[in-house]
Amino acid sequence: MNRSTCGLALAGALAALAGSVSAETITVATVNNGDMIRMQGLMAEFNQAHPDITVEWVTLEENVLRQRVTTDIATGGGQYDVLTIGNYEVPIWGAQGWLLGLDDMGEDYDAADLLPAVADTLTVDGTLYAAPFYGEAAMVMYRTDLAEAAGVTISEAPTWAEIADAAEKMTDKDAEIYGICLRGKAGWGENMAFLTAMSHSMGGRSFDTEWVPQYDSPEWVETLTLYLDLMSNYGPPGASSNGFNESLALFQSGKCGMWIDATVAASFVTNPDDSSVADHVGFAKFPHKDGVDNTGNWLWSWNLAIPASSTKAEAAKTFVEWATSKEYLALVAEKEGIANVPPGTRTSLYENPEYLEDAPFAAMTLEAMTAADTQNPSVQEVPYTGGQWISIPEFQAIGTAVGQQFSAAVAGSASLDQAIASAQQLAKREMTRAGYPK
Amino acid sequence: MARAVSTRRKIGFTALAWAVGLLIFFPILWTVLTSFKTEADAVAIPPKFLFTPTLDNYATVQSRSNYGLHFMNSVILSLGSTLLALVIAIPAAWAMAFQPGRRTKDLLMWMLSTKMMPAVGVLVPIYLIFRDFGLLDTRLGLMIVLTLINLPIVIWMLFTYFREIPGEILEAARMDGASLWREIVHVLAPMAVPGIASTMLLNIILAWNEAFWTLNLTTSKAAPLTAFIASYSSPEGLFYAKLSAASTLAIAPILVLGWFSQKQLVRGLTFGAVK
Amino acid sequence: MATKASRATARLMVSPSVILLLLWMIVPLGMTIWFSLLRYNLLMPGTESFAGLENYRYFFSDPAFWPAIANTLTLVLGVLAITVGGGILLAILLDQPIFGQGIVRILVIAPFFVMPTVSALVWKNMMMNPVNGLFGWLARTFGMQPIDFFGQMPLFSIIVIVSWEWLPFATLILLTAMQSLDSEQLEAAEMDGARPLARFRHIVLPHLARAITVVILIETIFLLSIFAEILVTTNGGPGTATTNLPFLVYAQSLLQFDVGLGSAGGIFAVILANIVAIFLLRMIGKNIDA
Repeated sequence: MNRSTCGLALAGALAALAGSVSAETITVATVNNGDMIRMQGLMAEFNQAHPDITVEWVTLEENVLRQRVTTDIATGGGQYDVLTIGNYEVPIWGAQGWLLGLDDMGEDYDAADLLPAVADTLTVDGTLYAAPFYGEAAMVMYRTDLAEAAGVTISEAPTWAEIADAAEKMTDKDAEIYGICLRGKAGWGENMAFLTAMSHSMGGRSFDTEWVPQYDSPEWVETLTLYLDLMSNYGPPGASSNGFNESLALFQSGKCGMWIDATVAASFVTNPDDSSVADHVGFAKFPHKDGVDNTGNWLWSWNLAIPASSTKAEAAKTFVEWATSKEYLALVAEKEGIANVPPGTRTSLYENPEYLEDAPFAAMTLEAMTAADTQNPSVQEVPYTGGQWISIPEFQAIGTAVGQQFSAAVAGSASLDQAIASAQQLAKREMTRAGYPK
Repeated sequence: MARAVSTRRKIGFTALAWAVGLLIFFPILWTVLTSFKTEADAVAIPPKFLFTPTLDNYATVQSRSNYGLHFMNSVILSLGSTLLALVIAIPAAWAMAFQPGRRTKDLLMWMLSTKMMPAVGVLVPIYLIFRDFGLLDTRLGLMIVLTLINLPIVIWMLFTYFREIPGEILEAARMDGASLWREIVHVLAPMAVPGIASTMLLNIILAWNEAFWTLNLTTSKAAPLTAFIASYSSPEGLFYAKLSAASTLAIAPILVLGWFSQKQLVRGLTFGAVK
Repeated sequence: MATKASRATARLMVSPSVILLLLWMIVPLGMTIWFSLLRYNLLMPGTESFAGLENYRYFFSDPAFWPAIANTLTLVLGVLAITVGGGILLAILLDQPIFGQGIVRILVIAPFFVMPTVSALVWKNMMMNPVNGLFGWLARTFGMQPIDFFGQMPLFSIIVIVSWEWLPFATLILLTAMQSLDSEQLEAAEMDGARPLARFRHIVLPHLARAITVVILIETIFLLSIFAEILVTTNGGPGTATTNLPFLVYAQSLLQFDVGLGSAGGIFAVILANIVAIFLLRMIGKNIDA
C-alpha cells in the first residue's frame, strides 16, 4: 500500500514537470488544411504584435478534430480557447449558446467587408458567432492540356452531360489519366457533401416539406446513376476511399482530367511548388442538369469561433481578429504571394486588381460563392437551408450512414438499388429516432 | 559428407530466413527511405530506390510541431505509467503466485477481461470524470489511465514469471530464519529481475503505442507522439514524404529501445508458455 | 501450508490491484449503463430524458449490428489464423541454424514496436494505395490491374495490416517455446525415420500447445478492440464492410454524438467481451495452470 502511494507521489512529481503555464496561453484547435498550416508558419508575426499571448496549436484531421471539439464543447471540457468549425456547426452551436458573440471586434476589423453569403451563414439572430478564415464554393477544375489533346472544350457553365462526355474523352487509363476525380470516401463532409450538392443541381432535394428523406426519389436516382457511371468508368482506382485531400494529391500529380470540388483547391493546383500541372488548369462553374437552374449551392467556410466557456476570451478574440483580418491577408500576400491568401471571406480581396490578376481562379470563385443560395438550396420546395449539407443536427448521423452506402456502391460491394434502398431506410430510421416530422 | 549437406542446408535456410525477414521489415524500411525523399520522388513511378537524400521533410515537421515536447510526453507517460503499474502489480502477482487461492485463476481472467472493454464505449463518462477532476490534458490523468489499462497484462505476465520461481527456495530461506524483507531482497529479487525487466519493456511499448486515450484525453500540453502523428494523417496535397518523416520520428525511439533490449524482452515474454 | 496470517498478507497484497481495476470497471460502466437508458445526444444538451430500453432496441435493430458482429469475429479469427500459422512457420525457420540469426530476428520483431496509427497510415498510403502505392506499381509492372484494396477487399486488407503488427509477437513467443524443445527428442525421431511432417505433428505441435494458447489469449484481448487501424484506413466502410463492434460504438457515440445509443452498444460490447473471456477460460484456460 505504502508503495502505491509512493508511486502516485512519483507520478505527481513527474506530472508537475509539465511546466509552467502562463495565463495568456491560448489553445487553438484546427484542421490540417494548407491554409491553416500556412498560418502556423506565420506565428512569429503574431507574437511580435502580441508578445503577451502564446498560441498552442492542436492540429488534427477534419473528422478527428470535429469529434474532439464537439465532445469538448458539449461536455463543457474547456480544453480549447479557439475552435476551427464549419458553417454547418456555427448556427447550430450558436443557437445552443455554446459560442461567444463576435459583434464587438475592433474598429478596423470591418465586419461589413465579410462576404455577405458567408457572413449570413455565421449569423444567428443578428449576432455573428464565428469569423470566417477561408470560404469556398465548388467548381470544376480541369486540365486544359488534356482537354485540348482530347478535343473537348468545357464551357463556362457546363451541363452534366457535357462533363460526362469530356470525362470519357479525357480518360486514358494506360497513361494513368483518369477523366474525372470525385469524392468517394464516406462521410457527411466528404462524398455526401458532393452528392447533396450534385442532387440539388439535378433538381433534387434531400427532404420533402414533411421531412421525409428523398434518397429514393427520381432525381436522386438520376444523380447516383450518373455519379456511379462517372466513377466506375472514368474515375481513378480506389475512388471509394478518395476524399478532398486524396483527390487533390491525384490532381496535383497529374492523374485527373477533371476534378469537381471545393474552390479552395484552386490555389493549390495552380501553385507550381506543389503541383506538377500548375500551368494547365482551367475552371468552370459547378455543373447543372440541362434545364435546371441550380448549380448545387455548395458553400462552406472554415471559421474561428470562441467557446462561451473560454476563460481567456480576450486573448482568444485578439487572435481571431488577427487571423481573419485584412492585415492577415496582406501578410500572407507579402510572404507567400497574393494568390495564396486564404480565399472567399472578404469582398475587398475580390476588388483588389492585383489578386484578380495573379489568381486566375478568383473571378470564378467569387461568382460561385455569390451564386450559392443556401436559403433556397433546391428548385423544389424544402424545409431546410444548406447546400452541400442540410442545416439540422441530424444531418451528421444521416450523412455518415448514408455516405457509407454510396461509398459501398462506388467500391462495387453494393448495387445501386441496394445502396439507395438502404440509404433511404437508414435516413428514415434516423429521422424517426430524432422525432421528425417536428 | 554430412557436414557439406548441413552447410548447404544452412545456406538455404539463411536465404529463406533473410528473405522473409526483409519482407516483414520492408514497410518500415520503405517509410524511413521515403522520409528522405522529396515529395515528387516519394510518389515517383517506378519507385525510386536511389535518390538524392534530403532532410527537408524533417525540417518541415520540426517547424510545424513541437517534436521535443511530444517526445518528452511519450517518455514520461510510458515510463511513469509502467513504474506505477509495476508498483501496484508486483505485490499482487507475488501473492497470487506464492499464495494461490481457489479463485486466483478466475481473478486473473476477470482482470484480463477488463481489457476487452471497448474504450470508445466509455469515452464520454471518462471525459466527464476527467473534466470534473481537472485531469484533461494532464500527464497525471493520462498516466493513471495508461496504468489501469495495462495493469491486467502486467499482473498476468509477472504472475506467470513468478510461478516459475521454485517455492522451495523460499522455504529454505525461511528455515534459515531470514526475515520477510531479507527473503525478498536477497533471495527472490535477483531471480525475479529478468521477469520484471521484460514486463517493464513490454509495458513501455504498449503505453508508447496506445493511441485512443492518449489522443482523446489530451490537447497540447500532455499530448504524446500518438497525437503528434495524428496531425499528419491525410492532410492536403502531396504528403507521403512528410508523413514518412513524422512516422519515422514517432517510431524510431521505441524501435531502437526494442532492438537494444530484445534479449531482455524475450526472456520474460513467455507468459508461462514455456516450461 | 499457507498460514492464516500469510493468507491475510496475500489478500492485502492483491487488494490494491483488485480495487483499482474494480473502480476502473465499475464507475464508467455504471455511468454507461445510466446513459444507455437515456435519450442523450451531445448536440442537443438539455433534452436528456429517460428512454427505458429504447436505445437497446435501436442498437439491436441497427442494420450494421449483425455485420459488425460478423466482422469482429472474422477479424479476430482471421488475424489469429494468420499470426499463429505464420508464427509457427517463422519460429521453425528461425530455429534452424542460419547466418545472422540475431539480425533476422530483429527484422522480424520490428513491426511489433510500430504504433497502430503509423502502421495503418503506412500500409494505406504507401503500400496499398492503388495509384501511388507499391503494390499498385508491382501489379502494373506485371501487367495486371492494380487492386483497390480498401474498396474491393476491405476487411482482408485490415486483417493483413493487423496480422503484420501481431505476427512478431506470435513468432517471439513460439520461438522461445521452440528453443526449449529437447533437440535429442527430434533427432531420435529422425533416426527412427519419422518424416518431417510426422515429427512436426507428434513432437513439435504438442510441445507448442501451451505457447499457442498464450498467443491466442493475449491476441484475442487486443484484437477484440481493434479500432485505430479501421479509423485510419476505411472508416468502417465501404458500407459496413469493416465496421466491427468498437467501430460501430464509435460511429454512434462520436460521429453521430448519440451517447445513449453508443452506451447501449458499449454495454453490449462489454457483455460480449465477458462471454469471450468465459469461453477462453473454459476452452483454453485449462492449459494455463494457476
